Amino acid sequence: MPELAQPPERFRVIARGKLGDAHTQAALDESTDRLRSHRIDAWADVQDVEELRERAHAIRMQVIDHLDEHVDRFTAALEARGGRVFFARTADEASAYVADVCTRAGAKLAAKSKSMVSEEIGLNEALDAVGVTPVETDLGEYILQLAGEHPVHIIAPAIEKTAEDVAVLLSRAGGEDVPAELEALTQAARRQLRETFLQADVGITGANFGVSSTGSVCLVTNEGNGRLVSSLPRVHVALMGMERLVPTTADLAVLLKLLARSGTGQKLTVYTTLVTGPRRAGEQDGPEELHVVILDNGRSNLLRGRYREMLACIRCGACLNVCPVYRKAGGAAYGPVYSGPMGAVLLPLLVGLGEAPSLPHASSLCGACTEACPVKIPLHELLLDLRRDLVQEGVASRWERLGFSLWSWAWSSVLGYRAATRLARLGQPFAGVLGPGRVWSAGRVLPRFGRRFRDGRRRGRS
Amino acid sequence: MPSVQLFATCLGDLAFPQAVADAETLLRQAGYEVEFPARQVCCGQPAFNAGHRAAARRVARSFTRAFSRELPVVVPSGSCATMASHYLPELLGVEGYEVWELSAFLVAFGFRPLPRNAGLRVAYHDSCHMLRELRIAAEPRRLLGASGAEVVPLPREDLCCGFGGTFSVRQPEVSVAMADDKLAGGAETGTIVTADPGCLMHLRGRAEKVGSQVRVVHLATALARGVRA
Repeated sequence: MPELAQPPERFRVIARGKLGDAHTQAALDESTDRLRSHRIDAWADVQDVEELRERAHAIRMQVIDHLDEHVDRFTAALEARGGRVFFARTADEASAYVADVCTRAGAKLAAKSKSMVSEEIGLNEALDAVGVTPVETDLGEYILQLAGEHPVHIIAPAIEKTAEDVAVLLSRAGGEDVPAELEALTQAARRQLRETFLQADVGITGANFGVSSTGSVCLVTNEGNGRLVSSLPRVHVALMGMERLVPTTADLAVLLKLLARSGTGQKLTVYTTLVTGPRRAGEQDGPEELHVVILDNGRSNLLRGRYREMLACIRCGACLNVCPVYRKAGGAAYGPVYSGPMGAVLLPLLVGLGEAPSLPHASSLCGACTEACPVKIPLHELLLDLRRDLVQEGVASRWERLGFSLWSWAWSSVLGYRAATRLARLGQPFAGVLGPGRVWSAGRVLPRFGRRFRDGRRRGRS
Repeated sequence: MPSVQLFATCLGDLAFPQAVADAETLLRQAGYEVEFPARQVCCGQPAFNAGHRAAARRVARSFTRAFSRELPVVVPSGSCATMASHYLPELLGVEGYEVWELSAFLVAFGFRPLPRNAGLRVAYHDSCHMLRELRIAAEPRRLLGASGAEVVPLPREDLCCGFGGTFSVRQPEVSVAMADDKLAGGAETGTIVTADPGCLMHLRGRAEKVGSQVRVVHLATALARGVRA
């Protein structure tokens, strides 16, 4: 399992590095601007957007309220179609199951399409360990695999790479000289990946949604790799977070409408694939075996209580594209898997607040994420509540708690306020020397505290 | 004459007393008697946003002791108006107050500013709380326009300036990088007007630090005395 824990200073250190890299900054600005404006354009011709968002929210919450039932229904429906379902409580259980499926199939090569759950459970490392070579076939993921890096965006994983970066990686991988032009890059990737599709023994995909009533797995891609990976190899394994179920195909239609528009600004992605069971007798295509791994890995902690709405997330990436902090810090600062506002909320909930104490604070609480979220998750309010939990659970430092405590006693009455601010005025020459004043002053001039507004007024009314 | 209660906010009182005085001037020009409840301190927002609810409650109670529910409370700060109207009643479990952000109040009661900015071009920066929680975006722009200014949109108006309370010192590098983008966007007009002392402190502090020529002005000042004041 990859290291999801985030030591306190990690975000700041990585963000600092990204800020100093003009290349990455330009890529982040350009990509997030583009995805954001595509999203806005895509919504322009939809009437009653609010009603649609409300409906999507209701569909998601209905599933979350009765998740056990939905998992059971999905399992029964899929098994009736000849598929197999494995419910994994932890990342390690999930990886071990997939590794075992590969081993039993005698697989040497596994073709993968994009799956954030596979990143979450560290599947590639687990497959390597049993002698199975995983090859990413989503272009972005393939680029990152060649670079030995983790995704920095949940839908556009290589968003910080420019055409020049990609040309270098593809040239090295293919032993050829690939020019930094989109057409040439795509052709090179197609050549390099074609054999993988044909030779892979196992195909591994994610699952954008699972439909409880039919046991179908829905895959949404733009490159067609998801369809190849789920139909050519003899065995197909789909990885799905336990919350990704929707009750019916009619509900699925609502969510697909939101997902494509919010993610890439498309009305529908180029490929929308519904897989319902393995190949049946008389059918020409499809795998002989279909396994769906349903992953908990901390999600059930969220089922009851304040943070359950986070399970409604459909991983569209809209919150990343509008986030001013993500835009500067980049995705890696949040950790190797989930990033942006959704990552800042989700990760501390999955791994525990103590393991990711800086993430709830990696936001200016501007609320752009909440505004963009197609399923109406109040992301910035969840961050605010996580901050409360940091204090209540004693994760916030003693100094911080002492500071706010002293401040609040002083500020709780006008007498205390007058005394404290008079003192502060005297101490002003030293304000930039230590603590928050020093941090502030490194990048900004502190305001000068002189005569207060109230000093110019008599009591009550003037 | 009808009366209002002016909430200076702690940051306004301490760091931008002139902007608060300008807000008072505008309210008087609009025909209101301005009361300044002497026991006022702060709405508790700094602690609330940092997760320190007990500390926030302690401070927020000073607001309930100072202000009356009988008269409107007018605040020259988008984020403090949000705290006082949206979060404070829930935090303390008390009945709400009639809280108005300054520009929304002035527009709602038909105030026409003097032509202090005739022929000038300015940019207006939205405070995030004011924009997304209070949904006040048109009012400050309309007032600036009525004061004679041409209001030129900033690039990516939706982006936060990077203040964010304690965020500004927890992630100072990201915070100032966000300010730099905002200031760069303001270079075209040379003036950024904002209705939030938090954004003002952050953007002006950054402009001074890097020697930017962009002036950052509180909306109350821009309307009462002009952006060149």
